This record gives sequence, C-alpha cells and structure tokens, in this order.
Amino acid sequence: MFWLPSIRWRTVADRGVVLVFILAAWQIGSAIVGTYWLSSPWATASRFAVLIGNGELIRHASYTLLEAAAGTFMGGVPAVLLPFLLRRHPILVAILDPFMAGGYGAPKLAFAPLFILWFGIGIESKIALVASVVFFIVYFATLSGVRALDAKLVQMAQIAGASERQLARHVVMPGAVPAIFAGFRIAVPYAVGAAVIAELISSNRGLGYLVQTGVTNFDTTSVFAAILAATLVVLGTSWLMNMLEALLLKWRPPVLSIMETGT
Amino acid sequence: MSARALLEVRKLGKRFAPRHGREPSPWVIQDLSFSVKEGEFLTIVGPSGAGKSTLLNIIAQTDTASAGEIVFDGTSVTTRDSRALRPGFDRRIGYVTQDDNLLPWRSTLDNVLFALEVQGRLNEETRAHAEMLIRAVGLAGFERYYPHELSGGMRKRAALIRTLVYDPPVILMDEPFAAVDAQTRTQLQADLLNLWTLGRKTIIFVTHDIIEAIALGDRALVLSRPPARIAAEHIIPLPRPRNVKNIFAIEGFAATYEKIRADVQ
Repeated sequence: MFWLPSIRWRTVADRGVVLVFILAAWQIGSAIVGTYWLSSPWATASRFAVLIGNGELIRHASYTLLEAAAGTFMGGVPAVLLPFLLRRHPILVAILDPFMAGGYGAPKLAFAPLFILWFGIGIESKIALVASVVFFIVYFATLSGVRALDAKLVQMAQIAGASERQLARHVVMPGAVPAIFAGFRIAVPYAVGAAVIAELISSNRGLGYLVQTGVTNFDTTSVFAAILAATLVVLGTSWLMNMLEALLLKWRPPVLSIMETGT
Repeated sequence: MSARALLEVRKLGKRFAPRHGREPSPWVIQDLSFSVKEGEFLTIVGPSGAGKSTLLNIIAQTDTASAGEIVFDGTSVTTRDSRALRPGFDRRIGYVTQDDNLLPWRSTLDNVLFALEVQGRLNEETRAHAEMLIRAVGLAGFERYYPHELSGGMRKRAALIRTLVYDPPVILMDEPFAAVDAQTRTQLQADLLNLWTLGRKTIIFVTHDIIEAIALGDRALVLSRPPARIAAEHIIPLPRPRNVKNIFAIEGFAATYEKIRADVQ
C-alpha cells in the first residue's frame, strides 16, 4: 500500500523504546526543576486531551494550518512557475540570481514585525510571512530541477516533433517534479513554523497565540500542548506530502536507503 | 526499390566552435560525401571517435555543420546557425540514439506513443499499429511497465519502435545495440531486420562492429580515421532475408568481412 511506509516490526519496537526514553528524561527533568518551569509529559498529555475535547486546540490548530496552507500556496505557486518561465532566458536567471540568493539567505522571520505593521495582526501578515519563507526554498529547488533536465531527452522529444509547449509539458515539467517535491518537503515545516512565529508576535488566534498566552500566564503545560499540536500538524502535512509523492512519482525506481530499510 | 537518392551528404565538414579563448577544434569530419537511396539499409563502419555520432547529429539537425551541405529529397537542409536547426527536420528524420532516452515517467506504451501524441496523430489506426509493433518485438504484456522495470534489451526495443511507429522517411541509428550482451544484440538485429522488411524504411545505421554492418546492410561505408571521410564502399552481396544468428555460415560473409576489415584502420 503506497500510503503506508513498509517498516519492519523491529523498527517500530525500537522507536517505542526511544519514545519511552525521551518521555522518561522529560519526566525526570520536570521533577527536578519543578512543573512550574517545565511541565510533565503526563500533564501535557492530559491538557492536550482537554483542549482537544473542548475544541480549543482544533480551532487554533486549524487557524495556523490555514495560514500555513495559504502562505505555501501563495509563495509556492510563483516559485514553481518562475523557473519554467525563465527556462528559455538564462540571462534573466543570472541577473536575478544574487537577489534570489539574498532573499533565500535573509532571515525572513525578522520581517514578521514589519509584515504585521503592513498587513495588520490578522491572517494577512501571517500568510505574507509564510509565503516569503516558502517562495525562496521552492524557487531554488524548482530551478535546480529545471536545470538538471536531461538534454538528450529534450533532443529526443524535439526530433519526435514536440513543440516548445509540449516540451515543457511532457519533458521539462515531469522531469522537475522530484525536485519540486524536495523543495516543498523542506518548505512545509518552515511554513508551519513561520505561521506560529508570526502568531507569537501578534495575534488573537492560532497555536502561536496559545503558546504566547501560556507563557504570559506561567502555564507551561499549555505551551507544551500547543507545541505538541504544532508538531503533529507538521507530521500530518509531511505524511500528506509522502502520500502525494508516492502517487505522482511511482515511475521512479525504488531507492533503498539505510533509513528506510531499518536494517 | 527506386534508385533515387533520398538523402545526399556533400563535402560535409565539421569542427567544433572555439570556446574560452581556445582555437576551434581540428576538423573531425572533412570532405565527407555519400548518398542513400530510398528504401536502402546503409551501414557506416568506423572506429570509436571517428565522428560517427557527430555525422548523424548533423544529419538529424541536432548539431550544425561547418562546411558542405546535406540534400534531402532535392532540397538543401544544412545550416550553420544553431538557432535555425530543426531537430528531426520536421519529423522526416527519425533518430535512434545510443542511449534509449525513454521518458522515465511514461510506461512502455506511452513512450512508444509519444511521437504520435505530440504530432497529434494518435487514433485507432496508429494505436493499432503501435500495438502490432509492441507484439512484433516481444514487448506484449509489458505495456504498463516503466522503463526502470525493463531489461536493457527491452528498453532498446521500445526505443526502436518508438521511432518506427511514426514512420519517418529516413531513420538514423547510432550504435543502438552497442550496450547489450551478444545474444540480445543478435536478437535485436533479427527484430530490426524483420521490422525493416515490413516497411522498407531508409536506414543509416552507424556501428563500430563490422559483423553488424554486414549482417544488416545493403551497402557498407567505411569511415577513415579523423578527420572522417569515406575511406571505402562495399556492396554487401548477402541475399535477403538473412538469418543474422547464422550470419557466418552465409556464403560471401567471410570474403566481405576480410575486405571491410582491411579498410578499417
């Protein structure tokens, strides 16, 4: 089944052991410094259950998810299209390159206050921040995919009579899909992170808001519950990406990595 | 078979353009002339690095010529300007390259149908023709497989019929069977001859293997060491249909082989 990673039982069991170790270390740490500073795993889990039960967590998480999704869309779509439009204009790519590299390197999270100043404390400023983070990551990933295109495949397609548009659609685009996926795989956790950070700074909803109010009220249990929720959102989107990738890239030869075989 | 020359190469020359302040390369092809008749299976033998692939690239218009011209069906087609090149010369020249160049994201069937699809000629009739070719080369049952799931020989067959299926008047073949084992290669040669008998396309087949040149061709040209020109021409006297698996036993093979070998430096 393509949506279930094939992992051996032994691996699952070992992961369980690692999880128990982490939780034990957390529990011990919290006992040492006191639950006032560091909430315990048990308290976090029960708070998580309560917040799920009363709908609070779902409400905040879906708001954060909405920001991340909208920002990923608004940043990701132009980032995918631009390298294709620029494919036949290497000079333009070269002119843009230092600016794109600068945009990629700039700490976008530092722009969060600026975006809030410009777009307000509502959803717009969060989407803008997420989009600015996602855009550069996906742009460079797509560009590398378009550049890695096999010239021989292009030549074959031209000889077979493909027009420039057919070439883009049947050869360049499918060839770049793995690189585009790699870009989004990196960008999506950053997107959720950026949404949370923007909420931390100024908002009245979202997981970042939950973290912020938790800290303000010296309620570390709420902070951990919110962070746990954000982590689960990232894991969920990663799982969704894996599923989509398995479906779209089933033509690729299977790659056996040490991490996947579990041996 | 008509005796008309379908494609003529006249005094062709090629040297690669200067790059990074260096001089242009020495001539890799110089004063090379030959012609191929409609329906003829022409083989060209030459050592590695003799400029065989470069010659085919120029004919296929994926590379420019530096001198001379190529005349297709009475009109001159060579160009010196790389931007004016028309790869495949508007679908009149098919090209089976050394690498199979199958699109990895397309199944066998979709790879075979690729040219028909982009040319807008996909219909009941052409699809049936493609399926016939797939059966003829033993790929039936593998239509839905992706290239990475096929053996090397199967990929070669798929690449071969992908070009045959859209029926270009001239087909260039650049050592298409070089990378497979001896048994598979003989089988692929037999398959190719069978397919050629069905359609009698004009084929220019380049190889470094003298046996292959004799087994397949009506006529074999021998390329000189670089700069490449035609060093010798041999009519292959072997009758058709030929059994390529038993080519050594056919009368006249040994004598032809000796003559060509003497010309290949």
